[in-house]
Amino acid sequence: MAPQKRNNAPKQSEYKDKDKPTQIRMSNIEAAKAVASAIRTSLGPRGMDKMIQAANGDVTITNDGATILKQMQVLHPAAKMLVELSKAQDVEAGDGTTSVCVIAGSLLDACSKLLAKGIHPTSISEAFQKASAKSMEILEGMTTPLDLNDRESLLKSASTSLNSKVVSQYSNILSPIAVDAVLRVINPAYADNVDLNDIKIVKKLGGTVEDIELIDGLVFDQKTQGVGGPNKMEKAKIGLIQFCISPPKTDMDNSVVVSDYTQMDKVLREERQYILNIVKQIKKVGCNVLLIQKSILRDAVSDLALHFLAKMKIMVVKDIEREDIEFVCKSLNCRPIASLDHFVAESLGTAELVEEIHTGASKIVKITGITNPGRTVTVLIRGSNKLVLEEADRSLHDALCVIRCLVKKRALIAGGGAPEIELSLKLMDYANSLTGMEQYCFREFAEALEVIPFTLAENAGLNPISTVTELRNRHAQGETTAGINVRKGAITNILEENVVQPLLVSQSAIHLASETVRSIMKIDDIVNCM
Amino acid sequence: MADTSSLLTVGGDRTTGQTVRTQNVMAAATIANIVKSSLGPEGLDKMLVDDVGDVTITNDGATILKLLEVEHPAAKVLVELAELQDQEVGDGTTSVVIIAAELLKNADELVKQKIHPTSIISGYRLACKEACRYIQEHLVCNVDDLGKECIINAAKTSMSSKIIGPQSDFFSNMVVEAAMAIRTSDGKGGHRYPIKAVNILKAHGKSSAESVLVHGYALNCTVASQALPKKILGAKIACLDFSLQKTKMKMGVQILIEDPDQLDKVRQRESDITKERIEKIMAAGANVVLTTGGIDDLCLKYFVEAGAMAVRRCKKVDLKRIAKATGAVFITTLANLEGEETFEPSFLGQADEVVQERICDDELILIKGTKARTAASIILRGANDFYCDEMERSVHDSLCVVKRVLESKTVVPGGGAVEAALSIYLENYATSLGSREQLAIAEFARSLLVIPKQLAVNAAQDSTDLVAKLRAYHNMSQVKPDQRDLRWVGLDLTKGVVRDNKKAGVLEPAISKIKSLKFATEAAITILRIDDMIKLAPEQRGGNSYEQAYRSGQL
Repeated sequence: MAPQKRNNAPKQSEYKDKDKPTQIRMSNIEAAKAVASAIRTSLGPRGMDKMIQAANGDVTITNDGATILKQMQVLHPAAKMLVELSKAQDVEAGDGTTSVCVIAGSLLDACSKLLAKGIHPTSISEAFQKASAKSMEILEGMTTPLDLNDRESLLKSASTSLNSKVVSQYSNILSPIAVDAVLRVINPAYADNVDLNDIKIVKKLGGTVEDIELIDGLVFDQKTQGVGGPNKMEKAKIGLIQFCISPPKTDMDNSVVVSDYTQMDKVLREERQYILNIVKQIKKVGCNVLLIQKSILRDAVSDLALHFLAKMKIMVVKDIEREDIEFVCKSLNCRPIASLDHFVAESLGTAELVEEIHTGASKIVKITGITNPGRTVTVLIRGSNKLVLEEADRSLHDALCVIRCLVKKRALIAGGGAPEIELSLKLMDYANSLTGMEQYCFREFAEALEVIPFTLAENAGLNPISTVTELRNRHAQGETTAGINVRKGAITNILEENVVQPLLVSQSAIHLASETVRSIMKIDDIVNCM
Repeated sequence: MADTSSLLTVGGDRTTGQTVRTQNVMAAATIANIVKSSLGPEGLDKMLVDDVGDVTITNDGATILKLLEVEHPAAKVLVELAELQDQEVGDGTTSVVIIAAELLKNADELVKQKIHPTSIISGYRLACKEACRYIQEHLVCNVDDLGKECIINAAKTSMSSKIIGPQSDFFSNMVVEAAMAIRTSDGKGGHRYPIKAVNILKAHGKSSAESVLVHGYALNCTVASQALPKKILGAKIACLDFSLQKTKMKMGVQILIEDPDQLDKVRQRESDITKERIEKIMAAGANVVLTTGGIDDLCLKYFVEAGAMAVRRCKKVDLKRIAKATGAVFITTLANLEGEETFEPSFLGQADEVVQERICDDELILIKGTKARTAASIILRGANDFYCDEMERSVHDSLCVVKRVLESKTVVPGGGAVEAALSIYLENYATSLGSREQLAIAEFARSLLVIPKQLAVNAAQDSTDLVAKLRAYHNMSQVKPDQRDLRWVGLDLTKGVVRDNKKAGVLEPAISKIKSLKFATEAAITILRIDDMIKLAPEQRGGNSYEQAYRSGQL
């Protein structure tokens, strides 16, 4: 079908100037819709997973819309816009990346219907903008305000987000972790945003997802260095150094010239003395746990130094990544020490316990009971294989984002397709008060939103038509919180089922989707610059 | 779906829906078919030849799958599953793959009958939970009640399927003894069995029955020089992690000599630095020196003079273990806190005897009667290298089993008894449920029967007849409270009858059964949840552009 059209295209364009933009628009819409339909099966708690095999043979199994689209190499420029859209939602809200694409696909479908009626794309675009603004208002009206001390509600929304993931059976473990992690890093009284960098996620292969834990302190996935040194330290004084404990190197090429055999001994002894000096200074200040930043130019710590440190009963963890330094300082309440001269007691952090722990085949170092801890936490993720580990990480990230959304905007709405169907009904009503083309556009916009409950029902193995109609009916009777209960396969009051989501997720989904659709509508030509 | 997928131009192939599910199930079944025939005491071995011509003969599921180059991503999940089982339990790698594949096959059948995959998944999950609970509540027996005999029996059961099966009496005792020797306290009143500490050495020649367990540490090295003593009683051992060679100056240190006399002195000094080190070690009383580095011929002279044994190029892991066993300190440098070099007598470890012995063509150093902790090494003998390799794997599996039994203290009867009992229980449980999960649980129950069936098939017995008998007994045990002892009934594959496997001593660690069920279910669910597979084409420079796709008519 497609090739025929193209063959005709140049001929027709000579007569009808309007035909080409229409074709481009239709091709864009079709491509974007294809993306949306590709990931719609992964929407909702009963959504399926995608297996993506990358060019180098790496396999990803995921349910996260943004990840799927990032991995898929879509070629069509309009389809790429949808990929960008889901990325934007990921950045903005962190969750609802699948829904945003599904909504956009459905809105585009509505557009094509409107275009067929002969409505000009600009009018559609304008009307959609108004409709989206109106939706925001309606959504605001549906919310229940939330207090950050209301742990129960936070848990509910985190587990709603986790329910659709591969790790859903562990949602009762992961959601408290997500909630506690976020609550620990913010000050509930006046926080209006969460810096997710304050939550460090350490992934370690082995164990099962059940072993995931929230650690009030720090975890390094390195093991302690040195032979015979301590691997457990109570009442630790922790120093974080950025210099190396190894024979120094000058910047230029250098060579030490020895001309006498007695000097050979001296060279060896000097090296020992030099390192011993550093180590003694460290010991004098009272430090007994030493964290050493990774160094590329020379050994961060030489074998000789490790030997001395082990003898002095100082625990050593090396290869701390440069970007982690800030986090470590923040959580330990210490200062990074860039030169030996600054190695003073005030720069050290203190903790109750630093301990090396065996986790299956490997070891980790855990710091707990930090005095004056900063507002940071660490989550140690475990998984039986790499695929599960990665997916657990992504799911936890989504759950953290959901809580972050709630901190940003403290309002909850019902899940399970309830807000979308309510929006659709309200917009329909509102459309009747309008005249002209806007009315048509509003109606289509409203209808397009029904795609969410429709897909939810479809993915859950329910009859989509009867489910959506019943849902619409219940909402028309004023039950604004009725939604699809996937577990029972029926329409129930979704708030009672504890399915709640942050307002921000729904709002940004509709907002971003309608904006993307508007920009796709406005394209009337693709120019290939090759 | 078909017409939209052609519109979605991704740089690669995309399969969706039922097709991908069937494909995945097929791939999983293929993997299971490969290892199927190696299950059980009568299972057969595989010979694997790799691209350079190396041959491996094995019966171990994890080893077979590791050596296969599997490409299909779903099949890879199964290979990883076997590896996971190998790491976590060490035994039961074949059965876990077979169960997972059977679960998938039956799930696929259900999907074809229009049951939504999510319902199947939740059914499987429920069934797995119930099954694990049932094993723990009804099918385990405590090791303490059964006595030490059962630990040996468990080791025997794991060996029965392997190449050393005929000599399982001999080897099981050896394995249990080795595991006992390396017992260490975990500081919380319990014991740990770090099986890695059992050093397994292979030497071909002689028959497998002449394998020996050495109470001590066997080190696959020889003394550095023929002139050194080969046997030292009352050994004082120094473990070093540096070379005893002529001292070289560090990079960036140049030696410039103007006077020819100096040249000699510098040379002299170079060897003297090491000499002084050796003298310090000798002065502390050491008569055995083990080092990870090298020892110069020049420096060996000092050892010969002192009548001490010196061994170079030992493996670091070996030395660390020897240090632990003998109470020595593994030292990386002699420097002390005054900036000088010293060697304290407290760094030395002690053993009754260090001796170099000839076993087949190789010489080994045995450290016997270690002071701080007992150690164990197994020297395996076999007709050829393949045989030895397979023996090593089998012994490793048995060690893992013994460790699990000792740590968890519970065993279950083997020979398909647990699977048959679970299948009866789950079938009854399924009928008590009124939801969609019922069918999935029934399929789960049916899938478990694949183990006894396959066991019987591999033993060339009438599988239908045997499994039916087995099920009848288990049903009886669950229905009639006075017949409860029938729950220990399992298959006797040599005679082709059913018998009480608890009495017969066919036992497996309970933890292995529970974990393999859990892992198999997890893997099956992971694959079942997939409804879309995207294979990205390898990236080509300037290849698959929009322009090209446009031209080829994909848009």
